[in-house]
Amino acid sequence: MRRLPAGLPPLLALAGLLAAWEVASRFLALDGLPSVPATLAALPDLVADPDFARNLLASLRRMATGFCLALALALPAGLAMGRSRTVAALLNPLTMMVYPVPKAALMPLIMLWLGVGDLAKTLVIVLGVSLPVLYHAYQGARAVEEKMLWSAAAMGLSGPARAARVVLPAALPEILVGCRTGIVLALITMATSEMIARQSGIGAVLFNALDLAQYETVYAIILVIGALGVGLDVLFEGARARLVGWAGPPPALAPASA
Amino acid sequence: MSALAVPRAAGAPAAAPQIAIEGLSKAFRRRDGTLHAALSEIALDVAEGEFVSILGPSGCGKSTLLYIVGGFVAPSAGAVRVGGAPVTGPGPDRGPVFQEFALFPWKTVLGNVAYGLRAQGVPRREAEARARALVAQVGLSGFEAFYPKELSGGMKQRVALARTLAYDPAILLMDEPFGALDAHTRTRLQNDLLALWERDRKTVLFVTHGVDEAVFLSDRVVVMTRSPGRIRAVVDIDLPRPRHRAELLLNPRYQRHVIALEGMLEDGDGPRPGGRP
Repeated sequence: MRRLPAGLPPLLALAGLLAAWEVASRFLALDGLPSVPATLAALPDLVADPDFARNLLASLRRMATGFCLALALALPAGLAMGRSRTVAALLNPLTMMVYPVPKAALMPLIMLWLGVGDLAKTLVIVLGVSLPVLYHAYQGARAVEEKMLWSAAAMGLSGPARAARVVLPAALPEILVGCRTGIVLALITMATSEMIARQSGIGAVLFNALDLAQYETVYAIILVIGALGVGLDVLFEGARARLVGWAGPPPALAPASA
Repeated sequence: MSALAVPRAAGAPAAAPQIAIEGLSKAFRRRDGTLHAALSEIALDVAEGEFVSILGPSGCGKSTLLYIVGGFVAPSAGAVRVGGAPVTGPGPDRGPVFQEFALFPWKTVLGNVAYGLRAQGVPRREAEARARALVAQVGLSGFEAFYPKELSGGMKQRVALARTLAYDPAILLMDEPFGALDAHTRTRLQNDLLALWERDRKTVLFVTHGVDEAVFLSDRVVVMTRSPGRIRAVVDIDLPRPRHRAELLLNPRYQRHVIALEGMLEDGDGPRPGGRP
């Protein structure tokens, strides 16, 4: 068996998907399923539209804000859970209760409290990203070898110094697994929150196009969101390799639910 | 039980001891709430520059004793004094070396060895220069930029030893340091440790279940019994230094020590009235 050159398998999979789509659109003749060439033809106009760019940027801005806020909240909390049984006993049941709740489904409730603006949408993203980051920071901190901490303590590192300089770097590979799931969830919650509260954003554009039966545009936007996901993952993998190259190859990404 | 009565602070040297362990006991609470006595009434003095091994079957609490001296674990009763001051926590005067190596995997060999110096505020260039010298001393020149996952077990333990020596602790606390290594690597590391020790003469507390290793390295061997861990005997190893393995193996006194200690371990290993099997 010869190995396929790197980069070819994903392209083959993409080509297969597009072929299946094309076959379906030709032979099933479904309403609202445009052909592949028609969709691809809609892409340049969409991407060149300054209005679309503005919406895309608004989405990315909310996503980045939500992601960073979630990191700032969940990372210290998760590390504390991993190193203190009391904190874990306090937060773990709550975490396990909230984790499986679909965060996008909370959007209507949150809109009742916070309105339909940026605040509500950002909060949904924060909720979506927080839980995987919290959970993986917890697991990562819990798995830190006791004797590594003892070695650091013998060198004179205080408790807070050990948390910052031993627990955090030792747990980093696991934390990044949580961050990767977090990015996927940020993307999902970002798009769904905008579908529900449609002021701005790529999700709003998608659903407005759907209402107007502009199916080529709808599918072109879906392609853009997919490309965004791939792009973010490639960027993230680059950062991961730099940060935790010492830990070996990444674990497989578990599917995320929103 | 009377046959196993413990000689109190046997072989205590005349000068003020560097490590003084008095009436030390440690009990752990089991999951079902009952207490498990890991250590009972341990008394031991160790002089500065002495190499003392703690020998015992697995589960006799010998590592726990070392962790208490290190300040990593608190005793249930009794106290440890180091240089006259009671131990209340870990400190750079007592440097641990663990069987599990416990290296920082995100640091290179050089980064690991320099870590303690950096933590104590030594400027980077100076810390790295001293770390480089220590890496050379443990025979790892050329591996400075390697990460722990790229090293063999023996190399990892050399790094761990250099990392601890880097901040120059007065006492080395070695917790079955060669227990996870293959026989050949273990022998080489024992030889190198002995050569280092004969040069620096740091105080060493060395936990092991290997009789050969204990006799080869030590000035004194403390034999422990199991459940609860007590000191059964303290044996002076009156073999000349510098020691060389090949000469030692032919020395009848070495052979007698090994046979006597192995006998003590076997006795202490069986079921005892009143104890757990």
